[in-house]
Amino acid sequence: MSSLIDYYVMLFKAVSYALKAEKILKAEGLPHKLIPVPRQVSSDCGVCLRFESALQDDIRAALAGKVEIEEIRRLVHWVTHGSGKN
Amino acid sequence: MKPIKIINATGLACPQPVVLTRQAIESNDYVRVIVDNDTALENVKRLGAKLGCNVKCEAGADGNYEIDLTRKPDAALPKEDFVPSCTTATAQTGPFVIVFSEDKMGRGNDELGAVLVRAFLHTIAGQPEKPDVMIFYNTGVKLVLRESEVLDDLKELAAAGVEILVCGTCLNYFEANDKLSVGIVSNMYDIAGTMSKAGRLINP
Repeated sequence: MSSLIDYYVMLFKAVSYALKAEKILKAEGLPHKLIPVPRQVSSDCGVCLRFESALQDDIRAALAGKVEIEEIRRLVHWVTHGSGKN
Repeated sequence: MKPIKIINATGLACPQPVVLTRQAIESNDYVRVIVDNDTALENVKRLGAKLGCNVKCEAGADGNYEIDLTRKPDAALPKEDFVPSCTTATAQTGPFVIVFSEDKMGRGNDELGAVLVRAFLHTIAGQPEKPDVMIFYNTGVKLVLRESEVLDDLKELAAAGVEILVCGTCLNYFEANDKLSVGIVSNMYDIAGTMSKAGRLINP
């Protein structure tokens, strides 16, 4: 028994890009959260923007031509699990 | 109101309180554990957090503690082993406290510090080992105000049983009493007292 939370994370070449992207998304009213880059994505100490999968197109459109995006990764997160494995 | 299973773990040596709690929560949604020492208190709280329960704790007048564990609806319990800490060195030293004396993490660059504190709180809110108390003073109080970027994480921590103490003098100084959005207004007695008896104290 598990429930799935489906997020995407947007990665940038530098922290300043993430901050610039955040300013734009805030101004556009597009919900997102600035989080540390998940461990499974990179062990570097970086920040990225997390958003719900349904917003991907809107967010890409809002940033197009304004901020260079390095990568967008799907981040699947199981909140509970019935199996013994993590 | 769901039936409550009460475990009286007073007088029992470590790890008995944890073992009994673990057994009880497997067949009950709502368990109250009564313990008589800090080691058992910390272990049962940690177990509850690890099992994804809502944990609430109250100190009784008789020196005992009542810990209420509530399972989240439809949540399966993780199967990993929980290792109680029975050594006095780690368990009897008092609460785990995080102090925010600024609305940023580290000093040097304010913009960077604001990013780091958000990443820090997101991580703390997501990790199983939550602090017992978080204290906010000086510009740190800006983190608990209405327009704060970290409110969601702080509310999640508060809901998980983390006590959030906010310096009343500081709210008053910033004329922000009406903007307080999470935590309770506290005073220097509680703040200094909590910091003094902390087992671990982090100042990010």
